Amino acid sequence: MRLTCPYCGERDHQEFTYRGDASARRPSLDSQSIDEHNAYVFDRANPDGIHHELWNHTSGCRTHVVVARNTVTHEIISCDPVGPFAKVMK
Amino acid sequence: MVDQPEMLSPLHDLAMPRAASDTAGVELGERLCASLVQVQAWPNTVGRVEKALSTLKGEITIMPSGPGRWLIEDESEGLEDRLRKKIPSAVGAVTGLTHGRVVISISGRKSEWVLASGIAIDFSTDAFPVGETRLTHHHEIGLTVHRTGETSFDLYVFTSFSRAFWQWIERAGEEVGYSVT
Ligand SMILES: [Zn+2]
Repeated sequence: MRLTCPYCGERDHQEFTYRGDASARRPSLDSQSIDEHNAYVFDRANPDGIHHELWNHTSGCRTHVVVARNTVTHEIISCDPVGPFAKVMK
Repeated sequence: MVDQPEMLSPLHDLAMPRAASDTAGVELGERLCASLVQVQAWPNTVGRVEKALSTLKGEITIMPSGPGRWLIEDESEGLEDRLRKKIPSAVGAVTGLTHGRVVISISGRKSEWVLASGIAIDFSTDAFPVGETRLTHHHEIGLTVHRTGETSFDLYVFTSFSRAFWQWIERAGEEVGYSVT
């Protein structure tokens, strides 16, 4: 599998580190709900189809990207930079 | 003033000059940097850092190494101090890497071929033009590749991994014949 880093270009996925489900949303810090925190840590949709996931280009420019990947065909639909430098790259 | 101790090569006698046993497809060499510095801008100071870097004088090589980040080599000493004066911490972070990297150079008609045997990036001049820089890895160890010519590259290797890397590049070069300059 190859990912197209918005800074470095197309690279082997071994240059990247998987950083988890990009759709998981951390509950607000003042949330007292154990269920909300439990869901954030453990509950995943595991879709057959398009999945949004965070990858870090650890062996390259170290940018975090959100990859939209089809879990059935492994097609990479998009790789978008996130974080404070995302707009510097576009 | 205390004299600076002379920098010693971490490769020691590994990279002693020697002629190729047959026709050499590649020439290998080693170089210690007089100055090697990383500069990282803040997200809102990228333009200011670019401007500061454009005023640098001397034998300077500026290699983009990430968003708002550059690796800069100077053929004379003292670049870190000069950059600290131009780039205060409110504008960017200046990190001296002079002792943290060794430059291993490879040149010759088979350079692309030898590098491609262990480094998974496209080395063709279309994908990797002369003067550009690529950040990648070799067996999971980070590596910066700077293309200095059609058939020549400078590889910025972590000092502590340089002996292992040198041994690899010699083994990889055996296929096409190599000499050490
Ligand atoms: Zn990258």
